Amino acid sequence: MMKHADVKKLTYVSAVATLGAVGLMVASIVFPKPALLVFAMSVGQGLGTLSLATYLLAIALDLQSGGGLIERVEEDVGEIKSDTAHE
Amino acid sequence: MPQIDSIEDLLKLAALTAAAVSAAIIVWYLVRRPPLGRLTKALLFLGLGVMPLGVALTGNIAGYEYTLKRPFCGSCHVMGAYVRDAEDPKSKSLAAIHSRNNRFGGESCYTCHADYQMFGAVTTKLNGLKHLYFYVTEYANTGPDGEGGPTIHLYKPYSNKTCMTCHSTGAPRWSGVEEHQAMLDDIRKNETSCVTCHTEVHPTALAHRAKAEKAEEKRP
Repeated sequence: MMKHADVKKLTYVSAVATLGAVGLMVASIVFPKPALLVFAMSVGQGLGTLSLATYLLAIALDLQSGGGLIERVEEDVGEIKSDTAHE
Repeated sequence: MPQIDSIEDLLKLAALTAAAVSAAIIVWYLVRRPPLGRLTKALLFLGLGVMPLGVALTGNIAGYEYTLKRPFCGSCHVMGAYVRDAEDPKSKSLAAIHSRNNRFGGESCYTCHADYQMFGAVTTKLNGLKHLYFYVTEYANTGPDGEGGPTIHLYKPYSNKTCMTCHSTGAPRWSGVEEHQAMLDDIRKNETSCVTCHTEVHPTALAHRAKAEKAEEKRP
């Protein structure tokens, strides 16, 4: 069964990969040189597609293993901690 | 505020805006590392899915539009002499005369060298990939205008169909030329090429330069 930490790791990997893919696509728009255009339209878009697939996989696995129950508990714990601190 | 003069500019602006939104969401997530609640998941879906897709789509179209323009063709140094001649207001070469046309002058390379058939744009762009391969493998370390590299040539004989996209061969001024009348059928059937008589297409082309000819002779 997928652990909560693995879901977070997958989301993190997906976020970093998307940042790289978007960076490549922006570079090809700002500096439209032949090699950069081809690179952005192949590697950049491929990386973007893979990272979206990774994120969707992370969400699917998260839903399968409790549907975000852990997050809600984490949020509640956070709220309780802050309430205690105020008191 | 950037000036927007064309659809290409508008698409570029849309792509850059989508990229900025996507990057902002991703950086926020990476810095703050919030719990993966519903709101975070929805925001990340926007930043990792919807916005990058927007960048890819609009960026693709803007990129494609730019690849039709002469500066793009001239961005490889081997095309320098061709582009300089095309942009020379005093030049009387066919390339320069066509490049001065207001309707398509800015895209003269593509207009004259594209395949005008079904999926022509696709085959033209695939040939563009071939150009890039040859550029990297054969012309990367050549002289300022590609001197020292192999002579540039077309992949297939130049088709009259491209000329006939504009020159219909039916206009009175064109038909008034005696040679055109004599070869009308051959021209229309592509049996006699337009460039057989109209030879001054790219007079400064690499093949016409002495250094290139010498380099070509030395090749095994």
